[in-house]
Amino acid sequence: MTVANLSVVRESPAEAAIEVTGVNHVYHGREGEVAALEDISLNVNAGRFVVVVGPSGCGKTSLLMMMAGLRHQTSGTIHIQGRPILDPDPKRVGVVFQEASLFPWLTALDNIEFPLALRHAPREERRQRAEAMLTLVGLEGFGARYPHELSGGMKQRVSIARGLVQDPPVLLMDEPFAALDEQTRMTMGHELLRIWSQTAKTVVFVTHSLTEAVYLADEVLVMSARPGRIIDRIPVPLPRPRTYEMMATDTFGRLRDRIWQQIRKGA
Amino acid sequence: MTRPSPTTVRWLILVAVLVLWELLPRTGLIAELFLPPLSKTLAALFSERQEYASALLVTLYEVALAMLIACGAGILVGALVGGLALLRDLLLPVFSSLYAVPIVILYPIFTAWLGIGSESKIAFAGVYGFFPVMLSTAAGIRTIDAQLLLAARGMGATVPQQIARVIIPASIPTVLTGLRLGGALTIIGVVVAEMLTSTAGIGYLVSRYRTILDSPHVFAAILTILVLSVLFDAIARAVERRTLVWQTAGRREKTSHEPAEALAAPAPAG
Repeated sequence: MTVANLSVVRESPAEAAIEVTGVNHVYHGREGEVAALEDISLNVNAGRFVVVVGPSGCGKTSLLMMMAGLRHQTSGTIHIQGRPILDPDPKRVGVVFQEASLFPWLTALDNIEFPLALRHAPREERRQRAEAMLTLVGLEGFGARYPHELSGGMKQRVSIARGLVQDPPVLLMDEPFAALDEQTRMTMGHELLRIWSQTAKTVVFVTHSLTEAVYLADEVLVMSARPGRIIDRIPVPLPRPRTYEMMATDTFGRLRDRIWQQIRKGA
Repeated sequence: MTRPSPTTVRWLILVAVLVLWELLPRTGLIAELFLPPLSKTLAALFSERQEYASALLVTLYEVALAMLIACGAGILVGALVGGLALLRDLLLPVFSSLYAVPIVILYPIFTAWLGIGSESKIAFAGVYGFFPVMLSTAAGIRTIDAQLLLAARGMGATVPQQIARVIIPASIPTVLTGLRLGGALTIIGVVVAEMLTSTAGIGYLVSRYRTILDSPHVFAAILTILVLSVLFDAIARAVERRTLVWQTAGRREKTSHEPAEALAAPAPAG
């Protein structure tokens, strides 16, 4: 019941789940036009875990929101699963936000069911899916709690469950663990990798934490300060499953250092 | 020596006030004309219970209709003003300053238009209670966390779904507070209007008995209104608590310790 009916089969690795082609974004600020994103092109193959890092205000969240169909780029195209994304499409893309995006008047279970309720799925099916997601994120038995009765880490587990409940092939995460303390953050990173390996989603994950980036990613994309451009793509050759011990290795340290150098260069 | 719980203290204060109400006039410290003893007040209320009951019915009828107007119009206008930027910029400053105007000054106009019957009271109290309902509804809608709306959009919520499933539930706490304040104001509005110009209602009884210096009957009417307002507030708070379990469930667990503490530490006998 739990994970059995999720798509565990990875699609052929050659197939790009996300294709971003020549995306530019210009917005109108107080001092006239501001170039926020400049000529962003990237492909993310199905089942990959890609982390985006960069200085504050470099437009990484904007880019993520465009992939979610929540914001529109000035020019360029974004394809998800081979089709352009123009509006939010929860069947193709699940989004997990920074924090406090759960509805405080709904229980954990009702929060997870929310996307299904929007498209009027039968009550029975909703409950079953939501229960399965709750188990997947390790919160069995907490379904009746309201968000304010859950810890920060548990709330983000619920957010992840909500992002996955429609079984979208792509999961976009905007600094989901930024508000958590260091220990919870590490645990949640580890948990996320477990969930990812069980569900085989394509993940794009935005963060400020370099340790988190190296620990989670197949590949780290480094963006420059405004106008945001992709200045480096750093593959992470660490084997999976990742362990906490890997953080103490030379490879881990060198990768983190390289990302840091790139961010400094681009800032 | 442990301190008694706030609840115990509150009840003790109430009992003390009632005892003083009886004792101060009895011992002659306060003239009975200014403060008739509690027992005489209750006796007056009981002897004229028919008159008080029919007056209370009139007042209740006026309060009910005024609340309907205040809440209905308040929520409707508040939602429009809070939700539409154009209306907000045009109307909110006007409404906010109108709130500070002593609207009671308009009551003579209401009697001129609608007569001295129930209609003028309902209209006046409706306008009086309208402002807090409208302003808090507008505030409730304006202050909704943008992150929640973004999340709902990301999950594919259409605009009507965003209204029904995010905006309305998110603004309920502030709207309920507005309804409680507005409701209390309509009671004040009705009673004040009845005291100024009228031929029926509890407020009318207060001013009629005052002109013939019948203090026990004046205080009996005051007591009736007091009970009515306190009851309304208690009901409104209970509704708020029940509706907002999602806000209070955590706190409820904490306060559930209170009775246990009260049992463990009996209040010092007064």
